[in-house]
Amino acid sequence: MLARPGLPRFDYVRAETADEVVRLLQERGEAARPFMGGTDLFVRMRDGVIHPQVVVDVKYLPGIRDVVYDAQAGLTVGAAVTMNEVARHPDVVAHYPLLAEAANSVASYQLRNRATLGGNLCNASPAADTAPATLVLEGRIVLYGPDGEREVPATEFFLGPGKTARGPAEIVTAIRYPLPPKGAAGRYLKLGRNKVGDLSIVGVAVFGFPDETAPSGYRFRIGLASVAPVPLRATAAEEILAEEPPGEETFVKAAEEAMNEASPIDDVRASAAYRKAMVRALTLRGLRAVWEQLA
Amino acid sequence: MGMHSITVTVNGEKEYLEVPSHMTLLQMLREKLAITGPKNGCSAGECGACTVLLDGEPVNSCMVLAVEVDGHEVVTVEGLAKEGQLTPLQQAFIEHNAVQCGFCTPGMLISAEALLKRNPHPTEEEIKEALVGNLCRCTGYIRIIRAVQTAAEKGGA
Amino acid sequence: MAEFSSVGKNVPRVDVFEKVTGSAIYADDRQFGAGLYYGRLVRSPYAHALIKKIDVSKALEVPGVKAVVTGKDFPGRIGLYLVDRPIFAADRVRYVGDPVAGVVAVSEEIAEEAARLVEVEYEELPAVFDPLEAIKPDAPLLHPDLGSYKVAPFIHPVPGTNISEHFKLRRGDVESAWSQCAAIVEEEFRLPQIQHVPIETHVAVAIWEPSGEVTLWTSSQSPFAQRDLIAQSLGIPHGNLRVISPYVGGGFGGKAGVSIEVYAVAMARAVMGHPVKLRMTREEEFVGTTVRQSLVAHVKVGCDADGNLLAMEVSYYFGGGAYNDYGVNIARAAGYSCTGPYYIPNVKGDSYCVYTNQPIGSAMRGFGMPEIHWGLEQAMDQLAEKIGMDPVEFRRRNCVKTGQIIATGMTMPNVDLVACIDKVAKAVNWGKKEPPSAPHKKRGKGLAIMWKAPAMPPNPGSSAIVRFNEDATVNVEIGAQELGQGAFTVAAQIAAEALGVPYDWVRVSAPIDTKYSPYEWQTVASRITWSMGNAVKAAAEDAKRQILELVAEHWDEDPEDLDIKDGKVISYKSERELSLKGLVVYGLPNEDFEGWKGGPIVGRGKFMPTYVTSLDPETGQGTRAVVHYTVGAQAVDLEVDTETGQVEIIKIASAYDVGKAINPDLVLTQIEGGAVHGMSSTFEALKFDEKGRPLNPSFVDYRIATAADIPKEIHGDIVETPLEDGPWGARGIGEHVMVQTAPAIANAIYNAIGVRFNELPLSAEKIFMAMREKEE
Ligand SMILES: Cc1cc2nc3c(=O)[nH]c(=O)nc-3n(C[C@H](O)[C@H](O)[C@H](O)COP(=O)(O)OP(=O)(O)OC[C@H]3O[C@@H](n4cnc5c(N)ncnc54)[C@H](O)[C@@H]3O)c2cc1C
Ligand code: FES
Ligand code: FES
Repeated sequence: MLARPGLPRFDYVRAETADEVVRLLQERGEAARPFMGGTDLFVRMRDGVIHPQVVVDVKYLPGIRDVVYDAQAGLTVGAAVTMNEVARHPDVVAHYPLLAEAANSVASYQLRNRATLGGNLCNASPAADTAPATLVLEGRIVLYGPDGEREVPATEFFLGPGKTARGPAEIVTAIRYPLPPKGAAGRYLKLGRNKVGDLSIVGVAVFGFPDETAPSGYRFRIGLASVAPVPLRATAAEEILAEEPPGEETFVKAAEEAMNEASPIDDVRASAAYRKAMVRALTLRGLRAVWEQLA
Repeated sequence: MGMHSITVTVNGEKEYLEVPSHMTLLQMLREKLAITGPKNGCSAGECGACTVLLDGEPVNSCMVLAVEVDGHEVVTVEGLAKEGQLTPLQQAFIEHNAVQCGFCTPGMLISAEALLKRNPHPTEEEIKEALVGNLCRCTGYIRIIRAVQTAAEKGGA
Repeated sequence: MAEFSSVGKNVPRVDVFEKVTGSAIYADDRQFGAGLYYGRLVRSPYAHALIKKIDVSKALEVPGVKAVVTGKDFPGRIGLYLVDRPIFAADRVRYVGDPVAGVVAVSEEIAEEAARLVEVEYEELPAVFDPLEAIKPDAPLLHPDLGSYKVAPFIHPVPGTNISEHFKLRRGDVESAWSQCAAIVEEEFRLPQIQHVPIETHVAVAIWEPSGEVTLWTSSQSPFAQRDLIAQSLGIPHGNLRVISPYVGGGFGGKAGVSIEVYAVAMARAVMGHPVKLRMTREEEFVGTTVRQSLVAHVKVGCDADGNLLAMEVSYYFGGGAYNDYGVNIARAAGYSCTGPYYIPNVKGDSYCVYTNQPIGSAMRGFGMPEIHWGLEQAMDQLAEKIGMDPVEFRRRNCVKTGQIIATGMTMPNVDLVACIDKVAKAVNWGKKEPPSAPHKKRGKGLAIMWKAPAMPPNPGSSAIVRFNEDATVNVEIGAQELGQGAFTVAAQIAAEALGVPYDWVRVSAPIDTKYSPYEWQTVASRITWSMGNAVKAAAEDAKRQILELVAEHWDEDPEDLDIKDGKVISYKSERELSLKGLVVYGLPNEDFEGWKGGPIVGRGKFMPTYVTSLDPETGQGTRAVVHYTVGAQAVDLEVDTETGQVEIIKIASAYDVGKAINPDLVLTQIEGGAVHGMSSTFEALKFDEKGRPLNPSFVDYRIATAADIPKEIHGDIVETPLEDGPWGARGIGEHVMVQTAPAIANAIYNAIGVRFNELPLSAEKIFMAMREKEE
C-alpha cells in the first residue's frame, strides 16, 4: 500500500526529563516512540510501517544537544545534536574530521538541520552514514533507562536492520568518542545513485594511525555501511593492514578482504555483486587517501 | 488526539494557533495560515519545495511538527522581500531566468538565502551541495546556480 | 519586418515576480474555506483481476466521511483518441493502482483512513507486462471489449488482441534494397516506463452545484480538453462545466488530457455544493497518474559503401499500460516519424501500442520520440562505424533536408539540421581526442540528432483576444497554459510586437478559465508558440487595424500610411503622432465634438492548421502527415569512472532550429533544462516486482538529477530557419530538447569504453558490470 498523504494521528509529548521518558516508555511500551529529528520516524509512520500512539520529543532533555570535548576524555556528542552541528562543530572538525565528513554526507543541508546523530544510530539502518565512522572511532553509545546509565560499544550496538542493543524503556542520550590516537587520519567515502545526497549503496570509513605495536607500524580500521544487515567493521582486512607493510600491494589485498567480509543483498538500489565490488573500490580509495595523509 | 496551543512568529507576525499533534509545519502554514509559498512536493523530506527558515536555518517543513515550532520563528518565501523590495537573490533569479514553472522556487530561494547567510562567497560546488535538497525538474539548475553566484557577487542574500 | 521591438528580445518573464515572491497561485494554493472536503482513491492491489464485490459500509461509518463512490455510479468511459478508460474500474482492474472507489470526507486524513476500510473482493487474473508477451495470441486480454470502444478515425485498434493501435508505413521496396546495402545493423532496443516527475503533483478541486453547474480547479495543460472529455463522459453540458487552471508546477505531458481530474468531479457529484479536493501524493504521482510508455524496438537499417542510407525496417512495440486513450497517438506519431530525422528511400515501419498491466502510459515530453531515438541514434552510430565513417559526417550526409520527400510522402518543410549538427560538433571539439581527468577514467564523445512533429489531430485550434485598457495597457486573453515554458511571456511579446506597444504594457489574463479564456486545444506538442502565437498575432493585428482605421479617418489619411510605434499612432506621410491612451477605449471625437467615433478596441484572432491530410491505413502515405518538424542535435563529452561505473558529463551541447526565437533566452532555458531532464531520464526507471507491484514509487528510490549531478557545462545554440506559417517563422522547442539526450550519452559511453547499451536505464552498476564482463 502506498504511503498516506500525511501523518496518521498520534499524541505529541515534549519530555523535560529523561526519567519522564523512561516512565512513558515503560507504561506505553510499543505504543510510545521517542524522536528527535523525526526524519526516520515520520517517514516510517507515513509509510505505515509503525503506528505509535504517542511520540515523545526527547531533544529538549538537559544536555542532549551538547557537544563536549575534553582533551583527556575525548568527545561527547549529545544524541540530539544535528548532523549540521556535528559537521561544523570546531572540536569535531579539529579532532574528529572523519565524523564531520560522515555527518555531512547525510541527505541534504536542510534535512541535516533536523537529522540527528543519535537518531541515525538508533534507527540502525544498515545504510546509516554515521555508523561506519562511529565504529572505527570506537564510539560508545550512552543509554539511559530504568536502571540508570550504561554504555555500549558501537560494535555491540547494532543487532540487525532496525534492531539495537537498546532496551525497550531505554533512550540514547549521547555518543562518546575516545581521543583519537596521535597522528590519525580518516575518510568516509560514500557511493550513491546521485553524486551527493542519496542513501549509500556502499559507505566505507577508513581510519588509520601510526602504532609501534603493530608489525606494519600502522593500524587501520575499516567500517562498512549498506553491505550487511548491520554496519560492521572489516576486521580481517584490518588485520592484514596491521601485519603487512603499508602500500599499494597491501591496500589492494586489504580491500579485497573487506569485500569478502561484506555480505550484501540485492535490492532496488543495487545488486549484491556490485556492492561487493564497490566495497573493494571504495576501501582501496579510502586507504590510499588516508595513507596520503599519514605518510 | 492532542491539540496544542502554540505561539509562533511567521514572517514577522506573531500567530496564536491551535494545532493537532500530527500536523506538520507545512500543513500549518498552508492550511491554517494560508501561507502557500512553501509547496508540498513529497511530504517526505526529499524534494525541498517546502523549505522554510526555522530560527534562521532551512528545514523541510513537511518533516517538522507544527507543535515543535511553539516559541520559534519561521520565515517563508513570502517573508523575503520587504515592502515590495526584492532581495538580491530574488532579483538575480529574475535576471537569469532561473524560474520556469516556479514550483521549486520558494524552497530554492530559502535554501540559497540561508547559504549566502552562512557563506557569503560560496564556490560553485558549495552552491550545488547547498541545493541538493531542492529538486527542480524544469531548469536544469544551471540558471539557479548562476543566480546565486550573481547575488553573492552583489553582496549576499 | 526589419526592426523588432519585443520579438527576439530577452524580456523578463511576465510570471516571474509572482513566482519569486511566493504569491503565484497553483491549484493546491487556492483557499476554499470550511466547506472544503477531501477525496482519496481506493486503488487496486492487483495488476489484473476481476472485481467480485465492493463493500463500502465500513468506510461510510467513519465519522467525517461524506460519500463513497464506485464504478457502479459512473457507467461511462473517458478517453481522447480511444475511449477505453472507465471512470472507476467496475468489473476489472488492469494495473496496481487502478482506482476502484473514491472516498469523500471532511479531511484528507479521514478520507484516507476510510479508504483503507473499503473492502474489495478480487479474483486475480494472469497479468502481462512486456509488450512482446502481450501481443502473443494466448496472452491475457486486458480489454475484451476493445472492438466496441469509440475511437478517432486515424487510430486503428485490433479487437481481440491487446493491440490498441497499429500504424503501418510502407515506402519503396525494403526487401530488394537490403541486397544493395554494404552494411546492415540489426538490433533490439528497450526502455522502461518512467515518470514525468513534475515537482507539483496532480491536484484537482471540483464543485458540483445543485444547479448542475460544475467548476473544476486543476493543475492542467489541457483545461479545454478536460472540459470536453469530462463533459462527455459524465454527461455534463459543456457550457455547465467550467475548468479553471492556475499556474502549473511542471507538466512535461503528464498533465495533458485527463488523468485524476475526472475522479474529483465524480466525487463532487456525490456531495453537491461542496468543493472536493483530490491531490496526488508523490507516491501516487509515480504510479497512479500517467507515465511514459515502455518500448521494445526492432531496428534494421542499411547503407551503401558511401554511407548513403538505403533501407530501414523498424517495429516499435510500446508498452502502453492499462489504458491507452492517449498512448495510441504516441504509437501513431512514432509510426509516421519512424525513420528519425533521416532521408531513407525504402522504409517498412510498424508501430504498435500494446496494453500491459502497468500504470497508464501517456504523453511525456517528446511523445514517442525519445523512445524511438534511443535505438535509432545508436543504430546510426553502429552503421557509420561499420562502414568506417565518422558519425558526424554520416549524419550530415543522411539527415533530412528541406524539400525532400520523407517517408510518409510529405515534403519536408524548412529546417536546417546540418547547421545544428555542425554547431554541436564544434562545441565539443568533435574529432579531437581529449584526455580524461584521471588515469582510472575514460573519456568519450557522442552525438545524436532528432526530429519531432507536433503530434495531434489534424485540426487543433487556438484563439486569442486582445483588449485595451484606458491607459492603453493591453490584456491578452489566451487559453494556452503557462507550465514554466514561457507561454505567457511569448504571448505578451507577440502581442506587443504586432500591436506596436511596449512589452511592459501587456498583461496576460490568468488563470486560464474555460468560462472566460478563448479556446485552446491543449498546451502540448510544442505547438503553443506557433499556434497560439499565430492566434495572438492575428488578434493583435485585428486590433491594430481597428485603431489605424479609426485614426486614419480622424486624420483623413490612408490607413496604409499609418503605423503604431511605441504605443503611438504615427503617420509616415504627415508625420503626425497620437498617443493610444484614451482613444483605445473612448474613441475619438469628431471635429468640434460633433459626435464621436471608434470605441473600445477588441481584437480577435484564431489559428488552425487546415492542410494536414489523412494517411493511408495500409501504407501511411499521404500528402501531409504533420504540420511541420523541429530538428536538432546534441553532443556529449563525458568520462566514465572505470572503478565505479559512474558517468560524469563534462559537457552537453545542443542546437535546435526554432525558426525564430521569440525570446532567445527562454529558448536557451528550455535547451538547458531539457538537456538535464534528458540526462536524468537516462538513469530513470519505474521498477516492478513479478506481480506488477511498484518497487520504487518515491523519491527515495526513483532518483532524479539534483544540482550536483548536472553537466559541468551546458551549451546551447539556436538556429533560425523560418517556418512558413509560424509567427515571424517561429516553431516549438519545449519537447525536442531531451529527445536524443539518452542516445547521445550512450554513444559517448561507447566511445569511452567500447560497450553498447541497448536497454535503458543506465546506471553506474550496469556500466561497471558491463566493463567487467568485457574485460573477462
Ligand atoms: C530525505 C531523507 C534523506 C535521508 N538521507 C540519509 C542519508 O543520506 N544517510 C543516512 O544515514 N540517513 C539518511 N536519512 C535518514 C535519517 O535522516 C537519519 O537516519 C537521521 O540521522 C535520523 O535522525 P532523527 O533525529 O531524524 O531520527 P528520528 O526519526 O527522530 O529517530 C530515529 C529512530 O530512533 C528512535 N529514537 C530517536 N531518538 C531516540 C533516543 N534518544 N533514544 C532511543 N531511540 C530514539 C526513533 O524512535 C526512531 O525509531 C534520510 C532521511 C530522509 C527523510
Ligand atoms: S514536501 Fe517537504 S521535502 Fe518535499
Ligand atoms: S522551475 Fe519547475 S521545478 Fe524548478
